[in-house]
Amino acid sequence: MQAKIINLTLNGKNIDVMVSPMTTLQVLLRENLGYTATKIGCRQGSCGSCTVLINGEPMMSCLLPVEDVAGQDVVTLEGLMVDGELHAIQETFFETFAIQCGYCTPGMIMVSKALLDKNPYPSREEVINALAGNYCRCTGYEPIIQAVIESAKRMNSVGN
Amino acid sequence: MTNRSYLLPETLEEVTKLLDEYGPEILVMAGGTLAMPLINEGVSTPEIVLGLKRAKLNYLRKSNGIFVVGATTSLTQMTEQSDIPVLREAANAVGGWAIRNMGTIGGNLFAPPPGGDFAVALLALDAELKFVGKNGARVMPLDEFYTGFLTNRMVPGEILSEVILPIPKGSSAFIKYGRRHTNTPSIVAVAINIVFDGDMVEEARVALNAVGPHPFRAKRVEAYLQGKALKEEVALEAAELATTEIEPFTDPIASEWYRRKMVPVIVKRALERLIA
Repeated sequence: MQAKIINLTLNGKNIDVMVSPMTTLQVLLRENLGYTATKIGCRQGSCGSCTVLINGEPMMSCLLPVEDVAGQDVVTLEGLMVDGELHAIQETFFETFAIQCGYCTPGMIMVSKALLDKNPYPSREEVINALAGNYCRCTGYEPIIQAVIESAKRMNSVGN
Repeated sequence: MTNRSYLLPETLEEVTKLLDEYGPEILVMAGGTLAMPLINEGVSTPEIVLGLKRAKLNYLRKSNGIFVVGATTSLTQMTEQSDIPVLREAANAVGGWAIRNMGTIGGNLFAPPPGGDFAVALLALDAELKFVGKNGARVMPLDEFYTGFLTNRMVPGEILSEVILPIPKGSSAFIKYGRRHTNTPSIVAVAINIVFDGDMVEEARVALNAVGPHPFRAKRVEAYLQGKALKEEVALEAAELATTEIEPFTDPIASEWYRRKMVPVIVKRALERLIA
C-alpha cells in the first residue's frame, strides 16, 4: 500500500507529512521530523514516555497511527516553549529537581499541561490520578507530584 | 516492512461492507490500545486493518427507558458523560488517563483477563450488545457473549456497534482490587447491582473479572442472595460461595492462590457497601 499525505497541526504549525499506512505518531515525530522529546519506552501504551496532546487530551503516540490524527491538533513537549522561554511547568520541574534521568519527563510534563489546562487548582489526589499512567523509575514520584502542585501555584499567580 | 493498508470508513454501513469484502483476515481496531502493542511487537502482522475512529460510533444516548452507548465511546467519555455511577467508576478504573482517552468501551469487551474490567459493570446492569453485519443487526445479552478465553459469539462479518442498557434500578457497587490504586491490572474486579424490596433482595447481579477465562456473572451467589435480607452474615456467606464459581489463574499480577483468597474478601467488601 502506498504512502499517504496527512495534514495535521503540530505545535501550532499546519503541516503535510507523507507516511506509510499505520506509521505511529511516535515514529513520525522522532524519525521523520526530528522531534525527539517524545520518547520510545515500552511501545505498549504502558509507560507514558511517549505521551503527546491530541486536541488537548493526553494520548500515547506509540499507539496512534498518524492517519488517526489527520486534521487534528498535536502538541509535543517542543511545542510548550514560547519565544525561547521554557513553559512554567518545564521551569518548575527543572528548578525543583523533579527530573533525574529525564526519560519520563516529557510525558510527565505533557500530562501535567493537560491537567492544569483543564483544572488550574488540582488537589494532590487529582495530580496523582492524572500522572498514574506515566512511569518514573528514578524519583519515587514525590518530586514530580510536588512540581505539578508548584507549577499550578506559579501559573495561577501569573494570571492574577 | 509488511505491506499494510489501513482503512478508516466513515459510516457503519461502510464498515460492514468492508468486513464482507475482506473477510476474516481483516483486523478491526477501535482505540488501538489492544491491537497496537501487538503490532508494534510484531506479534500481530495484519495486512489490512479496519480502523473505527471515524465511523461515528462514539455517543451516549438515552431514550425510551434505555441507554445506548456507541461501541467506540472512549472510557473518558464514559467517565465524564455517563450519569450511572457504577459505569463511571468502572470506566475510570481502566488504565491511566491517556489510555482512557484512547480505549473504547466496545474494545474493552475484547480485552482478555486480567484486562476487560468494564464488562463487570455492564454485566451487573444486564447490558446487551448489538452486532451489525451485512445482513442486518442482532442483539445479544452480554451474559451470553463470552464462550471462553478470547472467544465469543460474534461471527465473522459482524461488528459490535452498540451497548444497550436498561435504565438501572437498585444500588450498585464496584471494586477493582489490584497491586496499586490506579492504572493496574486486576487481581479481582467485582460489580454488584441489587434491587431491594424493603430490606429484601429482590434481584441481584454479581459479576467478576480476572478470576476466570472471561468476565462472568456469579449466578450461585445471585441466587443465594435473592429473597434474603442483606446482612453481615448473608454477605459473608455469599462471598464464600463466590469461590465455587471462579477459575483463577496465575500471572505476573497475582498467583491463583492469592486470587482465590481475595475473591471472598472483595465480594464481601462490595456487598457491605450495599447494606443499608
